[in-house]
Amino acid sequence: MLYNIHFCAYVDVAMPVEDKSKSLLPFLSSPKLLPNESEAEFQSGLQSLLSELDNPSPLAVALVSQLNESLWWIRRHTVDKELLLHEAMARLLSKAGSYSETYDNRKVSEALERYLDGRADKDEAEWIDEILAESKLTLSDLRVRAFKDAARHIKMVDDLIHRQHQTMRHLQRSIDSIDYKSRLIKRMDLELAALESKQSVKGVLSLGDKPS
Amino acid sequence: MAISHRRSLANRCNALKSTGPRSVSGKSASSQNSRKHGLNSAPDFESSIEYQKLVDLIAEEGLSAFVCADIAAGLLNYRRVMDAYYDTYTNPEPVNEFMRDMSVKGSMPIFREMLSESGSEPDDVRDMAAFFAGMQRQERRKGGPVSRRTTDTHKLIRYQRNGIARLSRAVRQD
Repeated sequence: MLYNIHFCAYVDVAMPVEDKSKSLLPFLSSPKLLPNESEAEFQSGLQSLLSELDNPSPLAVALVSQLNESLWWIRRHTVDKELLLHEAMARLLSKAGSYSETYDNRKVSEALERYLDGRADKDEAEWIDEILAESKLTLSDLRVRAFKDAARHIKMVDDLIHRQHQTMRHLQRSIDSIDYKSRLIKRMDLELAALESKQSVKGVLSLGDKPS
Repeated sequence: MAISHRRSLANRCNALKSTGPRSVSGKSASSQNSRKHGLNSAPDFESSIEYQKLVDLIAEEGLSAFVCADIAAGLLNYRRVMDAYYDTYTNPEPVNEFMRDMSVKGSMPIFREMLSESGSEPDDVRDMAAFFAGMQRQERRKGGPVSRRTTDTHKLIRYQRNGIARLSRAVRQD
């Protein structure tokens, strides 16, 4: 179930970076996006990271894809921090005043979400203002209280973001390492080729020096 | 069709009398009830086709066969963790709205009526109300969907840490 990876064709080293990432994407970074996320945005982020690679080998491309995913997770978790606050605000509001009896959290939550986005209609806005007045709170007071309530979960989101930063650091070091390794291998190949050509020239000269 | 508050309560009360599954298939299904993400089981990457293809792909880097195998296993393991992370994030434990929003005090007459059929004592009604109140507290403490998915994904941090460390070690080994 979790290990659902599809491999694609062999990736040619001389292939352009964009094509390389496309042929690697299905197997390592088939983007798993949420319904409200844009795949075009995800791909453009990936392409901009790939364009910075000096040596876009298959492994480097695979690691950069993971790096892009980590960046994407940081974005998601940052949005979650705000959503946690909204959730706590709705919980506090639904407990306020006459609403303590029914505790209709969902209704308050949906109305508050629209109110904070500025999409609430007149009735909804009045209703939220009414509950705020009933509970003797302003919106900023409510936000402060909600922050206190949601602190434990906000700390968890901070941990998740921190983990993604650490992951990115690991991936960055790995990319640097393979870049260095491939340069080293190229350099050694060149030195070997130079030595071989020197040897062959020496051999030709020594053959030519032989007295007939 | 929405069921009545009384019916929902009756269903929950009857469920408390259950002694678990009896059939083999039922037992086998319920044995997986506590399975969360499957990341504690040892994966067998080496026998998969994907693994061999990945090893061949990484071999282009000019690395030794041993290092290629290590990197491939590390990469597949990291993907396994991140796929579980995504699944946990997108499928948090659902909010039990009935339990969260019910008024335990308001349900007391229904408890009394249901228990009177079996000739129970008033203490039994209080016990049942206390039981439901405890479950409700637990449900409310878990918070909404965002709090739940945060708590669930937070539990996977250590798997992610180990997964990326393994991959990084494999890539950076000499």
